[in-house]
Amino acid sequence: MSGNVKTVLPSAPLARVAGAPVDLPTRRTRKRKRWQSLVWVVPGLVALILFVYYPLVLNFRYSLETSNIFTGQQRFVGLSNYTKLFKDPIFFKALLNNCLYAAISIVFQVFFALVLASVIENLRSNRFRAILRSIYFIPSAISLTVTGLLFSFIYQPQGGLLNGILDAVGLADLQQAWLGNPGTAMLGIITMSQWQGFGYSTLLFAVAIQRIPRELYEASALDGIGPIRQIFTITIPLVREMTGLMMIVTISGAFQVFNEVMVTTGGGPDNSTQVLGTLLYQSGFIKNDFGYAAAIATVIFVITLVLALIQVRYTSKRRVS
Amino acid sequence: MKTAFKVMAAAGAVALTLAGCGSGADNAAGPAAAVDLSNVKYEGSVSVITKYAGAQASFFEQMAKDYEAAHPGVTVDLQQESDQGYKDKIKTLTASQSVPDVYMAWAGNYAEQFYDNGLALDLSSVIAKDTEWGSTMVPSALDAYTKEGKTFGVPLTLDAKYMIYNQKLFAQAGVEVPTDLDGLLETCDTLKAQNITPMSFGNKDGWPAIHYITQLNSYNVPADTLEKDYKPETASFTDPGYVKSLDQFKEILNRCTTTGQGANGADYYSQRDAFGAGQAAMFYVENLEFGATAPEGSTAAADGFTISRLPAPAGASGDTGAVVGAPEGYLINSKAKNPALAVDFMKFVTSKQNAETMTSLIGFPSPVTGTLTEANSTPQLRESIDDLQQASKLAVWLDTVTVPAVADAYLSGVEGLITGSKSSADIMASVKTASESSK
Repeated sequence: MSGNVKTVLPSAPLARVAGAPVDLPTRRTRKRKRWQSLVWVVPGLVALILFVYYPLVLNFRYSLETSNIFTGQQRFVGLSNYTKLFKDPIFFKALLNNCLYAAISIVFQVFFALVLASVIENLRSNRFRAILRSIYFIPSAISLTVTGLLFSFIYQPQGGLLNGILDAVGLADLQQAWLGNPGTAMLGIITMSQWQGFGYSTLLFAVAIQRIPRELYEASALDGIGPIRQIFTITIPLVREMTGLMMIVTISGAFQVFNEVMVTTGGGPDNSTQVLGTLLYQSGFIKNDFGYAAAIATVIFVITLVLALIQVRYTSKRRVS
Repeated sequence: MKTAFKVMAAAGAVALTLAGCGSGADNAAGPAAAVDLSNVKYEGSVSVITKYAGAQASFFEQMAKDYEAAHPGVTVDLQQESDQGYKDKIKTLTASQSVPDVYMAWAGNYAEQFYDNGLALDLSSVIAKDTEWGSTMVPSALDAYTKEGKTFGVPLTLDAKYMIYNQKLFAQAGVEVPTDLDGLLETCDTLKAQNITPMSFGNKDGWPAIHYITQLNSYNVPADTLEKDYKPETASFTDPGYVKSLDQFKEILNRCTTTGQGANGADYYSQRDAFGAGQAAMFYVENLEFGATAPEGSTAAADGFTISRLPAPAGASGDTGAVVGAPEGYLINSKAKNPALAVDFMKFVTSKQNAETMTSLIGFPSPVTGTLTEANSTPQLRESIDDLQQASKLAVWLDTVTVPAVADAYLSGVEGLITGSKSSADIMASVKTASESSK
């Protein structure tokens, strides 16, 4: 293949172009086509405005009000819901739990998942690779409610699997009520979440690794580079885009955690596992304080919007490079 | 941007919940007008929402079918939710001003919110104690849905908490059913000394501990003080009885349960099963659950079990005749198209015959007197209802009788008390703060 190869166009259009007057679209046709395309765009746009942007604006408005859901009466209170929020120790506890969730998720769902994916993809046997990928992925396919129940059994203080294992290996002193102790409850939930999400991240990294040309590994092997160094010099640099994306997605996900807490502790004991999502739910649906809940929703929105913008900027930059 | 959409959706959920709230200028608050049952128009439909999805769904399904058969022009639109699902759904329906004609509300502040804001009919003219319908009910059940002399709810079940004792384990340890709190604690010591778990207890959901506190508060705090403190406008929570109640609960936790500090991690239902399996000598349980706690064929049923109230402390300064519990009742939406039809439906549901059907079908006792028979109930269930007739009052659950902020302060505070991170005084300080903020 040389640089002299010319692009070959289909013959029929050429024949038409060669013919006498060119059939250029008229202004009316162009206008009609523009309207026709709008027909396809408008329903989606209306739905987006109606169900996403309008509630979002409404949510901000409600965060500036107190409301009585029984009578439908609302009263403007300015920024007092936000003032209350920033004086609420439970809000900061929840925010801290979200940050802890994000930090641990990055370690497991980004770094460990990448290492595991590299190890799996380095295996010689195709069948064994496929089996391992499936094994690690299965937890992600289990419903979160089922996972919550499963881990509740594992963490049960009496007759629970974890305490049973600790007893069996002579570590009975470490037995405790894992979800009932404020010191271990949040870590227990995060562990459950990592167990479930780890395989999914691994699979994504495995796909990214499969796109790396094998020749690079073969050439480096000929140069005497071992598998561990290959991970650092070939795999990690070439899945950089996926790593960056996974970090942003993981952090964003950590600020939207809700189900994991609701199915295990509901935010307890003594608010020790409260996250922003559960605090929002409890403020609105338990305490009837929907103005305060709307203020929490706005804070979550701002945090995740910033992360989403970073994600968009990062991916567009990567595409250009 | 997927993330941003998700968050927008979450924010939208709050916004849409509130979207039903208009300016509210035309929604006048305050109790609605009384109902007249003398001329019910049997036409159209009546919408009903319950919290009896699942195993208990059959009762209302049967009632809807029977009512439609009795009144051919009427349709019953029945929605049945789980307990948690109901709590979420009724809030959303309330915010969007689309509450069904008949809806369930827990006794206490929870139900009063609907009545105070004009979302529940005043039913005094048809179900007050001196009416034909009201006279069929246990008076304390009606009291739970009465405010300032106005009855606004129809009690459907009669739920109260009792200590349930395994007779074989008690006989084995040579102890009797205790009559006061000190006796209970000593009994626990004796049982423990013989390697018998005195009491099974799990507080993963928060409310099991609150039931103890409700009962102990009614023992230790004078009734009029309690009544004042459970309403934010008159609350002070300064009575020493509150701290005493929390201390007594902690004592029970430490001396009677094996879950102790880890109780927040133990599930209520697995602890209930532990009693059923004969692994614990006592369990504090609602009378609705007697059947599920010691079902036929279980070790506890074979061992034999008896019931009594939670023993009161000697010399307690509160009302030792009160029993923790409450009926589960239904309110009638004052904005229902045909309110008389909705009331008539509930009158039908709580007729003596249908109350008996409820106990037969789902095992729930009714506040309608004389509906428990040997055929449809256990001796223990009948004993509990007989005992409730003697009770000075029903001490409504602390987490529904108080405003949500106070309930939340108690729920999270008692969880802290169990783990040891909070003292009784700390809890009462946060309860006071929560109550102040609700004024």
